[in-house]
Amino acid sequence: MTTSASEPGVDVRTERLQVGAGEIRLLRAGSGPALLFLHAAGGGGWTPFLDGLSRHFDVLAPDHPGFDESEQTDEMEGVDDLVYHYLRLLDLLGIEQAVVVGASLGGWIAAELAVHSPHRVARLVLLSPAGLRMPEAPPADLFIVPPERIVATLFHDPAAAEGLFPAEPGVDDIMRIYRNNTAFARYAWRPFLNDPKLERRLYRVTSPTLVLWPDDDKVIPRAHAERYVERIADARLEVIEDCGHALYGEKPEDITAAVLAFANGGTR
Amino acid sequence: MKFNFFHLMPYPTLPEDFDERFATPSLTYPSGQFDPQVGVEVYNRYLDELEYADELGYDGICVNEHHQSAYGMMPAPNIMAAALARRTKNAKVMVLGNAIGLHQYPLRVAEEIAMLDHLSRGRVVSGFVRGIGWEYFNHGLSPVHSRERFNEAHDLIIKAWTSTEPFEWWGKHYEFRYVNVWPRPLQDPHPDIYIPGAGSRETMKYCAEKRYTFMSVYAPTPVVKGWFDGYRAAAGDLGYEPDPEKIAFAIPIYVAETHEQAHREAKAYVEFLFHKGLKQGLEIVLPPGYMSESSLRGMLNAGPRKSFGQMSYEDLVDAGMVIVGSPESVNEQVERLRGELGFGQIMALMCIGDTPHERVVRTMELFARDVAPNFRSAPVPA
Repeated sequence: MTTSASEPGVDVRTERLQVGAGEIRLLRAGSGPALLFLHAAGGGGWTPFLDGLSRHFDVLAPDHPGFDESEQTDEMEGVDDLVYHYLRLLDLLGIEQAVVVGASLGGWIAAELAVHSPHRVARLVLLSPAGLRMPEAPPADLFIVPPERIVATLFHDPAAAEGLFPAEPGVDDIMRIYRNNTAFARYAWRPFLNDPKLERRLYRVTSPTLVLWPDDDKVIPRAHAERYVERIADARLEVIEDCGHALYGEKPEDITAAVLAFANGGTR
Repeated sequence: MKFNFFHLMPYPTLPEDFDERFATPSLTYPSGQFDPQVGVEVYNRYLDELEYADELGYDGICVNEHHQSAYGMMPAPNIMAAALARRTKNAKVMVLGNAIGLHQYPLRVAEEIAMLDHLSRGRVVSGFVRGIGWEYFNHGLSPVHSRERFNEAHDLIIKAWTSTEPFEWWGKHYEFRYVNVWPRPLQDPHPDIYIPGAGSRETMKYCAEKRYTFMSVYAPTPVVKGWFDGYRAAAGDLGYEPDPEKIAFAIPIYVAETHEQAHREAKAYVEFLFHKGLKQGLEIVLPPGYMSESSLRGMLNAGPRKSFGQMSYEDLVDAGMVIVGSPESVNEQVERLRGELGFGQIMALMCIGDTPHERVVRTMELFARDVAPNFRSAPVPA
């Protein structure tokens, strides 16, 4: 999804930061407690969903290495590398603790981050997170979905996708999608969207956790959301109705409201 | 010029409603569609055809590797090559090639090719391929690592063939503390290496640097010309002009007594190959990371190209993607294509799609008798 739209009045700042071997793009807006948003496999950028969050938080929306405007480096090979990457970013920005919100692929990264360094996560929000190995309910293989079926796979109401994808993609649009898919494949082709060891380590997560699952998610089965809630000590599940896996792409207001209601519990 | 008889070993009987029911004959085409009775017939028939090519004086007989596919039924090409090595006399036994990066243990390829070199008394040609995009789906390997794994497996195999002492291998994708391959190959330093290219600049440069034979895959003549020119340019950058025999043109060929008869018969087989055999969506041919960003951008900037499924028989003929005709007409077409493309070897696919045995044999005979001799010693026009 293409995403640089912001509401009038929201001042989104673009920062280029050297993190380790690569330079990344960090989009930032708002003030208040820090909120780190980890985007889904479709790509980074700014979205109306983040506008809503930025009215209450200092929202940090980096592109993962290899996605959009962030460089791919050889040292970024898996989600474990991304965890160290984001810890490094927080250190660099002097942020001791943040609300961490992650969607899908980003939800997986967020969960791993909270497992690794629970004290850095004030509150954890997982939007239909990937990451668990559940052979009995595997995620859909997004890599093999033909382009013409992507919208139907990600959205409950395909009409909601209008304007989010270029109607007549040009060379640059295709290259952006290909580059993002390549980064996605780098992190998630095998093991496919999971870390077999994640589930048994979730006991380490100490922050209050909200898991959101859209009731028409054709990518990640509900069992994943339930398993996260089961394994994390202080977690609850909230179901978003009439919504597909695109979540904040499909129902930005609903998702913003749900995240804010939970995240405004504040930094401990 | 050299003429090689290439076999894909296609599964020749697809259901009537294949087009409606199945997105592709590869990756997800159910193995329940494979009839063992057809299998036993065609494997033996296809080997007969390859052996006959040796008798007819073809310079090489070629097999290749594909997995989980009715398009080509040779997941283990070295097994086919072994069957051929002992029953043929003169032709090069060309494995075009082993998908080395798909292997968890690529030294197996080093071992098998070396064994084949001895079985065939030094007639083996060793092709190396990356594997088609969908083979990364069925091998559980990330296409992002396709080129890295290929390059590393290549370096490992070459070192295993040329070292005379045990060595250690500490690569990114492979790690072995004891590499000491027995047997070593017969050919010194090792069998010739052939590599196919489909537009990637990296591959052209790679082949030129290592002086490997560069092969085309099925594409319209102007596109193939771009590839061959790219290979020659890469060699030129290195200060040499490649021997035309280092440029191998892959093309389906169908010959009958008359031009009209040839087209009348070939149409269905050619359509089988391009519309059914090669029916595959871009999402499985070009998975993310399989192609470098610069190669993809180059391809996109070249403008839209019709997919095989969008090309009618006439389109395919006009684009130069098949050679069909009487011996006389085929002579002309080979002459014209050679002039345009400057290749010194042809990899001729004569069992096109579901062509029956008798018609494959007729093409083989007519071509060997009435076409090949005219080009044997003729120099490639500059």
